[in-house]
Amino acid sequence: MNEFVERQMKLTWRPPKKSYDVVIVGAGGHGLATAYYLATRHGMSNVAVFERGYIGGGNSGRNTTIIRANYGIPAAVRFYQRSVDLYRGLEEETDRWLMHQAKGLLWMAHSEAAVRAERMRAKLNTQFGAETEFVGPAQVQELCPQLDMSGGGRWPVLGASYHPQGATARHDRVVWALAEGAMEHGAHVHQNMPVDGLIIDGDRVAGVRTASGDIAAGAVVSAVGGHVSRIAAMAGLRLPIRTHRLQAFVTNHYLQQFGPIVASSELFFYASQTARGEMLLGAEIDPQPSFSYRSSHDFVQDVCRRALCLLPFMSNLRVLRQWTGVCDMSPDYSPIMGHTGVPGFYITTGWGTWGFKAIPAGGEQMAELIATGEVPELIAPFGLDRFARDRTMADRGSAGTH
Amino acid sequence: MTTLQVDGQRVEARAGDSLLEALVRAGLHPTGGGCLCLGGDCPNCLVTVDGVAYTRSCQVGTAAGMKVTRDHLGGEEPALLSDEPMSAGNAAPVRHVHCDTVVIGQGKSGREAAREARDGGLGVVTLDAREGQHVTGVYPGPLVVASDQAGRVLHVHPRREIVIATGAAEIQPVVPGSDLEGLVTARAAAELVAAGIDLGRAVAVGERPAGLPADSLVAHFPVGEGGWELVRFEGDGRVEAVVVRRHGDAGATEERIECDTAILGLGRNPRNALARMASDLPVRVVGSAAAEPQLPSCPREGTVCPCSRVTVADLDGVWERGFHEMELLKRATLAGTGTCQGGVCLPYLRSFLLERGGRLQPAFTARPLNRQLTVRELAAGAHTTVTARSPLHDEHLSLGARMDRAGGWWRPWTYGRKDDEYRSVRERVSLGDVSSLGKMAISGPDAEAFLERIVPTKVATIRPGRCRYVLMLDERAYLLDDGMLCREPDQDAGDRFFLTSTSGGAGFFELWLRDWAEAFGCDVRILNQTASLAAINVTGPQAARLLASAGARELPAFGRHRQVRVAGVDCRVVRLSFTGELSYELHHPAADACKLWRRLLAAGAGFNVQPHGLETLLRLRLEKGHIVIGQDTDYDSTPRRLAHGWAVNLNKGDFVGRQAILRTNKRPLDKRLVALRMEDPPVRQAADPSAEGAAIHDGDRYAGYVTSDAGTAAGGGTPMLGWLYLDAEGSLPHEVTIDGRPARRVDGPTYDPEGERARAAVDIASESPQDLREFPIARPEATDLGAEAPSEPPRLRRLEATRVSATPAALDAVVAEPPWPAGARAFRTAPDELLVAASPDFDVAGDPHAIVERETAFSYVWLDEATAERFLDRECEWRRPSARPAFAQGEIAGIPAKLWFDAGRTLILTPAPFASAFQRRLTRSLEETDGDAA
Repeated sequence: MNEFVERQMKLTWRPPKKSYDVVIVGAGGHGLATAYYLATRHGMSNVAVFERGYIGGGNSGRNTTIIRANYGIPAAVRFYQRSVDLYRGLEEETDRWLMHQAKGLLWMAHSEAAVRAERMRAKLNTQFGAETEFVGPAQVQELCPQLDMSGGGRWPVLGASYHPQGATARHDRVVWALAEGAMEHGAHVHQNMPVDGLIIDGDRVAGVRTASGDIAAGAVVSAVGGHVSRIAAMAGLRLPIRTHRLQAFVTNHYLQQFGPIVASSELFFYASQTARGEMLLGAEIDPQPSFSYRSSHDFVQDVCRRALCLLPFMSNLRVLRQWTGVCDMSPDYSPIMGHTGVPGFYITTGWGTWGFKAIPAGGEQMAELIATGEVPELIAPFGLDRFARDRTMADRGSAGTH
Repeated sequence: MTTLQVDGQRVEARAGDSLLEALVRAGLHPTGGGCLCLGGDCPNCLVTVDGVAYTRSCQVGTAAGMKVTRDHLGGEEPALLSDEPMSAGNAAPVRHVHCDTVVIGQGKSGREAAREARDGGLGVVTLDAREGQHVTGVYPGPLVVASDQAGRVLHVHPRREIVIATGAAEIQPVVPGSDLEGLVTARAAAELVAAGIDLGRAVAVGERPAGLPADSLVAHFPVGEGGWELVRFEGDGRVEAVVVRRHGDAGATEERIECDTAILGLGRNPRNALARMASDLPVRVVGSAAAEPQLPSCPREGTVCPCSRVTVADLDGVWERGFHEMELLKRATLAGTGTCQGGVCLPYLRSFLLERGGRLQPAFTARPLNRQLTVRELAAGAHTTVTARSPLHDEHLSLGARMDRAGGWWRPWTYGRKDDEYRSVRERVSLGDVSSLGKMAISGPDAEAFLERIVPTKVATIRPGRCRYVLMLDERAYLLDDGMLCREPDQDAGDRFFLTSTSGGAGFFELWLRDWAEAFGCDVRILNQTASLAAINVTGPQAARLLASAGARELPAFGRHRQVRVAGVDCRVVRLSFTGELSYELHHPAADACKLWRRLLAAGAGFNVQPHGLETLLRLRLEKGHIVIGQDTDYDSTPRRLAHGWAVNLNKGDFVGRQAILRTNKRPLDKRLVALRMEDPPVRQAADPSAEGAAIHDGDRYAGYVTSDAGTAAGGGTPMLGWLYLDAEGSLPHEVTIDGRPARRVDGPTYDPEGERARAAVDIASESPQDLREFPIARPEATDLGAEAPSEPPRLRRLEATRVSATPAALDAVVAEPPWPAGARAFRTAPDELLVAASPDFDVAGDPHAIVERETAFSYVWLDEATAERFLDRECEWRRPSARPAFAQGEIAGIPAKLWFDAGRTLILTPAPFASAFQRRLTRSLEETDGDAA
């Protein structure tokens, strides 16, 4: 057996019951983490997660596996730092190898305005618990010897904000470990079982409709990615969400070790190395809203060109595969978590390009909300009602790419 | 004979050998073993060729001096950095090919499809792996991307159809020992024998290989119903024996035959990865690529996925752990995620899942890349990120400026004399290049009404000749941009305005205005003059005196603008102030910028004039408390939060953002951008030069953070801007701490709070006449495009022309009876826009609101037809017109361009700020394609 298989989780499938305390729609990272934390932190195991396809088949399996907390507003820094901390303990907690590796993240600047923005990011992040420092070119080169510091003569690296806790983990294994943990505590996960409708009882949501019949639930949580607007519409809600494509690709194995995660917000790409040695590259979302999972050539073409400016060693690597996910973008580039105003119906969405890194904290906080009925302080700023209350959490600058 | 180097040893290849054939002929095998297919379907022939790892040796030819490492990972350590800087310039060359139909695969069905299409009068492009054309993907567009033999990358753009005739792949063996050397498929065996390669003692299992002499096989075991079953291969590194089994009435019979080569004819499956990834494109799959896949029997033991080294035991392991979906099986084992993308394992994974779960599951998603091109090949033809250059770019360089990218432009960051740059503004006079500002001319019967709906100020109260600072909000009342709005002084011109925006916003700005003009149904003309006009800010206490000595006779008062001839250049002089000092912004034709800049520097020598860079400008504005969009604002910055309510008039008609302001005004305010002052700032270290990002505390309460800090002001104290949250009582604290040091919230700017310096009364009439200088005025001649011939080498030159914005009907009439000299070329660049190579001394009879302006914002070059073809085949991805003459517009290598296809020559126009980038691309492209057939 190869090591990927040898250290695999065990998934246990059970037939659906007629009723659960909590039904979660969407068995991606956030849905499964919510079930996991409900079971492990609050003793709630009469919980089911319904998935229209296979677990982790949406963005949880299509992201670029980056974990970081260096966001642009205090509330976001605190929230993502919680996630970074939970991720660090998740291997030990689940006793599963998630290939979690802190490798540090360099966010590079090629202009004075970008230097300013990265210095500001470093200072703000550090004050709110996400260790980040601004480092000069010499230190950048030391952290990532592969970088062409002249940027191909056009995009010189003037410095970078360095976030040492920036990490990666194997996305699928995070999903499976949470699924396994939830299942071990008695939660159910049902694959190939789309939720076709919500059961509405008076003003509240009281369950879900599926091909296997109606399932009653004390609370229904939408943890859907990509088509969240459809689920919300079943509860009579209109969400301020637009869905955009986000693409990524990997190259063949690169023989040397490529240490950190590197990102450039002026060249709009980021790169890291997978545990298999592949170089993994991503960039910003497609500007045009779309539900398409189709990959495009111009994406690979342009990211290759931009990456060559800073990472010329990649020139002769072959691109192995490309793929596409769809991102639910909120108007303020921050997630939406909490009550919906419809009793019995909770939502976690707006995960844009930052969903993977938020999985443990998002699940933990949603579980606490559902179990206690109280909105935890950490996610209070991210409620859906913030748009109507004119209390948006604008964080465009740090959310753009990954 | 060709000599290659394989792992440092000389290997001779015969003419026509693929690299794999040359290796096998020399008795070599790529490392890792496995059955060779010679069809590009498996990962078993991967080697490293000239530093490119993971190269399918069956799909490349041989060339003298080729350096091959049999280890496909790359063998030796690659160099960390190449010796020469590599940038986008090092992308492989691309060739764009337009056709009706592209046929992928030139086997029997592919040839037939191509012939049929040609017979039907269609333009056909064929791609064939045997010709070195490896298709990497089929994409929306439609676009087919392939490598080609000449080391180029082909981008094929079919208008009608993509025919996929990729044929079939052979099923690979999955039994113990299937990763030994010495295994070949039936088709591969036939090809090797045809190439004169001796297979030694060969045993065939399954289909008998075509073209092999009957006596060349030691044994042949048919498989399938009533036939033999492959059990295992034996050997140490290389196959020594094949073991097969047959079930008869008397039980199983097993045979073991010794051999040098095992030939496997286990059946075929459609090579359908391209077809699967092409759903919802105009695709037709023909021949055996369209066949239904056959499932081999469920594998019992052995390596299923040679790319990721996944065995049957691994599949069982994850199956038992609950991974029952095809996609989960793939993700849990990584089977199918390597070079062959499931070419070997997919049929076996399906048969495995069918047997274990009793359910036939579909193939996993087919994704690009079907054939893995390198990063430099994939970057071929990528658009350039062009950073615009001001017409004064070279002037700044010659003054020692360090240029920096800001808002999509190269701007002088500093001239290396920061303190003096600052002092020259505050104490003497200075020049700043603000050419990158967005600039729009807007006229028409509805111009005033239109602008009333765009900006929150009351436009009706801007009298002719006046100008005002304006905000531009989006529908959520978030600040998008700011600028100044000037109403033309000449009342006879009707309603005509000039509106500026920030540098970064200029591209978006035009679309924003045009969209709203259309949405509101306003009758307006809009001309984007961002590149047409350069702008120099003359600022400092001596600004008026400098201008007077440069020949200005009259200057506008504060808040006004007028046409003034300065140093022989016609300028719109606008008097507002961003620096806090007396300031005149001189907007003038881009072609005159260098002349004006030099004359101003010369005229200012007596005042010790000094240009200032962006860094100094950002410091000066902070002392005045002026915001910078994007630095001090985010996507929630309403005028109320920015304390810019004074720029909003709610007592006029509706404007974009008004509804949101009315709605949010009902909510209590939560935070505000405030001016702060720290009297006793810390001595900042080089590593931490600024408080930007620092938390602001109100006692113990976290109260916000700093957005701008540019250091200590000349008069002492450090001005800052920052977001401050209101406290529980809804008020803003006056005393706060920043980084633990006391700071004070201030109302209004810390420098010259009353604005006396910016608003100072000026009288240049008192300047002694002998100080007033005259400058020669040369009226420019329009470029005679007809008389120009293609130059060698091609060089872009600035076009002297006229641009017109008028109603489409009025332009139709103008074009029908041109008022400009006969022979001058005119290009209808939009229904309401015209570019004429003539002087702007004509009127548009049918439209009193027409905007007719001198236009020097374009550069042009003539190319002869062959040169143009050579350049455009490579850099232009869209289909060019075939008629002559013809006009077309679009991006060339990502740079906007206008093309005029004349008989035998082609004119290319590009905006002057991008001219140097375009010139570089043109020169390099022509050098690299020199000698290519057109």
